[in-house]
Amino acid sequence: MASTSGSSRRNAALRLLKRRLLQAIPLMLGVVVINFVLIHLAPGSFLELMTAENQVSDPATVELLRKTYGLDDPVWLQLVKYIWALMHLDFGFSYRQNMPVLDAIWVGLPATLLLMISSITLAFVIGVAAGVVASAKVRTVWDTAVSVAAMFFFAAPSFWLGIMMIVLFAVKLGWLPVSGMETIGGGGGVLDILHHLILPTLALGLFYAATYARVMRSSMLEVAQLDFVRTARAKGLSRRRVTLSHVLRNALLPVVTILGVQMGTILAGSVVIESVFSWPGVGSLLFDSVSSRNYPVVLGIMVLGSLVVIAANIAVDLIYMWLDPRIEIR
Amino acid sequence: MERFAFLGRFARNRGALAGTVIILLVAFAALSAPVFFPTDPLRMVAQPELWPGEDPAFPLGTDSLGRDMLAMLVHGARATLLIGLFASAVATLIGVSVGAAAGYFGGWIDETAMRAVELFQTIPNLIFVLTIVVILGSTLHNIVIAIGIVSWTPIARMTRAEFLALRDREFVQACRSMGMGDFGIIVREILPNALPPVIVLSSLVVAGAILFESAVSFLGLGDPNIASWGRLVGDGRELIRSSWYICAIPGVAIMVTVLCLNLIGDGLNDALNPKLRDR
Amino acid sequence: MAAVPLEVSDLRTTLFTRRGEMKAVDGLSLSVGAGETVALVGESGCGKSLSALSIMRLLPDPPARIVGGAVKLNGRDIVPLSEESMLDIRGKEIGMIFQDPMSALNPVATIEKQIAEVVMAHTGLGRFQARARAHELLEQVGIPDAARRLDAYPHQLSGGMCQRVVIAMAIACSPSVLIADEPTTALDVTVQAQVLTLLKRLQAEAGMAMIFITHDLGVVAETADRVVVMYAGRKVEEAAVDDLFEAPLHPYTAGLIGATPVPGAVRAERLADIPGMVPPLNALPPGCAFAPRCPRAMDRCRTERPALTEPRPGRRVACFAAEKGPT
Ligand SMILES: Nc1ncnc2c1ncn2[C@@H]1O[C@H](COP(=O)(O)OP(=O)(O)OP(=O)(O)O)[C@@H](O)[C@H]1O
Ligand SMILES: [Mg+2]
Repeated sequence: MASTSGSSRRNAALRLLKRRLLQAIPLMLGVVVINFVLIHLAPGSFLELMTAENQVSDPATVELLRKTYGLDDPVWLQLVKYIWALMHLDFGFSYRQNMPVLDAIWVGLPATLLLMISSITLAFVIGVAAGVVASAKVRTVWDTAVSVAAMFFFAAPSFWLGIMMIVLFAVKLGWLPVSGMETIGGGGGVLDILHHLILPTLALGLFYAATYARVMRSSMLEVAQLDFVRTARAKGLSRRRVTLSHVLRNALLPVVTILGVQMGTILAGSVVIESVFSWPGVGSLLFDSVSSRNYPVVLGIMVLGSLVVIAANIAVDLIYMWLDPRIEIR
Repeated sequence: MERFAFLGRFARNRGALAGTVIILLVAFAALSAPVFFPTDPLRMVAQPELWPGEDPAFPLGTDSLGRDMLAMLVHGARATLLIGLFASAVATLIGVSVGAAAGYFGGWIDETAMRAVELFQTIPNLIFVLTIVVILGSTLHNIVIAIGIVSWTPIARMTRAEFLALRDREFVQACRSMGMGDFGIIVREILPNALPPVIVLSSLVVAGAILFESAVSFLGLGDPNIASWGRLVGDGRELIRSSWYICAIPGVAIMVTVLCLNLIGDGLNDALNPKLRDR
Repeated sequence: MAAVPLEVSDLRTTLFTRRGEMKAVDGLSLSVGAGETVALVGESGCGKSLSALSIMRLLPDPPARIVGGAVKLNGRDIVPLSEESMLDIRGKEIGMIFQDPMSALNPVATIEKQIAEVVMAHTGLGRFQARARAHELLEQVGIPDAARRLDAYPHQLSGGMCQRVVIAMAIACSPSVLIADEPTTALDVTVQAQVLTLLKRLQAEAGMAMIFITHDLGVVAETADRVVVMYAGRKVEEAAVDDLFEAPLHPYTAGLIGATPVPGAVRAERLADIPGMVPPLNALPPGCAFAPRCPRAMDRCRTERPALTEPRPGRRVACFAAEKGPT
């Protein structure tokens, strides 16, 4: 009965989760190896790199680093030690922040995740809604308006869009704050953060909204041609009902797939947007670290960023599975 | 004949045609930059922060250092277009090689290649580019290669799909029975047939690469010797309160170029698959 | 006296395409009484499905539109009705069953949802009662273990089971007219027989009027009371099923049943192949559309279109040769 089918789907979801987690291991290993290769391609010594050219002269520290990363060992052993260190969440030390790299990243993570999640939500809601409207009113001004807007936002560089929105909404109109996440001094509070979140979210999210609008439109039109839509109409359901309760869900599937593929791009995009809006997240940290050649932080962000993408992908897979009961675990 | 029909279908798409014309104009401007603006565009020529139209000698105004915006824009087009084209070429080279090997040989090669695609889709692309650039140095060719390295995965997927569809066709089997080697079959028999959709995708990758490069330059991490459009936007950042046009103009240039490349890509796509057009 | 459940008169449906207007259904008339089954037969592309969709007012628009005629449902002409009024008719007064059961169901919705939906749309029942009704319907169409199937998705059922679900949806509100468009074509032979038996049983129980579209003359002989033969959008012959098999009047009909040896034999025999091609709808010959392929064509057939005549009550044919004498 209901519970039988429900629990079998829950089991399937668990199987998917387990498989995805297993697949994540070689992926993460790959990321780490790429990091390692980059370090070795770099001009200058490993020690210089890992101390971010801070010219650490304290012999004890140097000795510790030598031991942790096995600098006197053959390359393969160095790789093993590097992996070993990362597995213990030892990403090195950031002299600039004067704290372990992991802690430095940890501080910025909530702000970045907030920006990412709100941008994805915005992109998804606007994109899907625009796609549905365009497909429902295909070949009308509505459709054209959506296409033109999508074309525009699909081509506009996000940082430029952000700056232009600052000029208009913050500088000229004074409706929204220019930058930051909280008002300095009397700030704080959820509303204040939301207020600061609006522009960065738009700047980051509109490109993806444009992508989803295009995909959603063509997907809706495609699904509307399928036989089951006619069956639903033969039951006496209105066009609107059929669109919302039958076409929509099927048409969402390709959008969700693309969302999964784009996770990494969205996270990366937040680097630029954070820099435009001085958003205190990992992106700003990355920008700062790149500018100051703080390599341990840069490498750590690459590893943890990949981890976030893998986690987000797993979430997307579960959503897909929930939307499409036909998915069976191989 | 077939090619003629293809061009006809492409030309009938008004968006694609307009895109082509504008891109040609941009390319022409880029190529003729030394002729029309022979002096160093980064030299101060007039009073700073002249608004567009304020002085007819500088139709797009001047920036905070009194440099001619139009001259910088035209010279910047060279950098932006070249980086876009070369990065896309790198991506196409990697993507086609990986995709062709994966699709043709299958088995463990395919498995490995697909894992690699997954890996490169997992690493947040711009973070990867910045990491490469900061560790190996922000030279022009490092940037081109870095952008190529993060852009090849869609091309590999597409090439693989085409190869999977083509590898068991009669003409390929005929070549195999005639004793033609794998490399010859891949390059001379399958690749020419698999290429059209891949080329369409490459044109879209150019657009993506331009966006990438502009982001890197905007952050001030591009090649310091090159004033691409992204860097011009970045340079104008500080002055948005008084002279926002300094940011706006190069940004519009990026947007229009990317838009036109996308239109061309869409047009090529529609012309390749006329059946899908009525959708 | 109760009105005839379905009475179609002079129905004309045109396709408005880039290559011009095509009369896909051209002056079709037929009536189906309560408990009666009328088979609609003809080669592929002759307009059977478009006729059915016209009656449902479910034409793909663009390109297809009804340009004339009447469809009287229990005495009321539904052609002029608004789309909104049609919502109360589809699924309630007319049900429809489609050819490919696997694609006729929404792959991402449960069986329960898809059946309950039509029940709730036309009755005042709430979700809970609708579920109970869906359960009842599944049992009625002979799905074993119905309670468990309610929560299944279409891909978990076989083609035959899916078609039973589609049938359950079509009869959920006890319509007076049921249109079945090749309901068994996509199914295995053994399953075909089961579905056919089910349809006949349900029809007898509820006294529905049924239009049965098929290529399968064995099925026609077994299921139908009367047969309407279509060619290029027009009705060319109509007869009681026995009469038709015994003495087809139209050369086209004769050609079609040429390969069905024994009338009434339950054999999965397809329509016979007739030499020549169906002319495209936008290039129909001026006279009889079948003339270019007709063994008995005369000069007149090529210039003048034969009108439908009624040589005997209940027997109609549109053919000059048939007027002169039997095949
Ligand atoms: N959406 C459409 N657009 C254009 N032409 C159509 C469309 N639907 C049907 N037609 C044309 O209308 C004619 C009648 O089609 P219809 O589907 O009614 O045939 P049919 O008798 O049901 O054939 P089959 O036995 O293959 O189902 C055909 O020539 C077909 O090509
Ligand atoms: Mg049909």
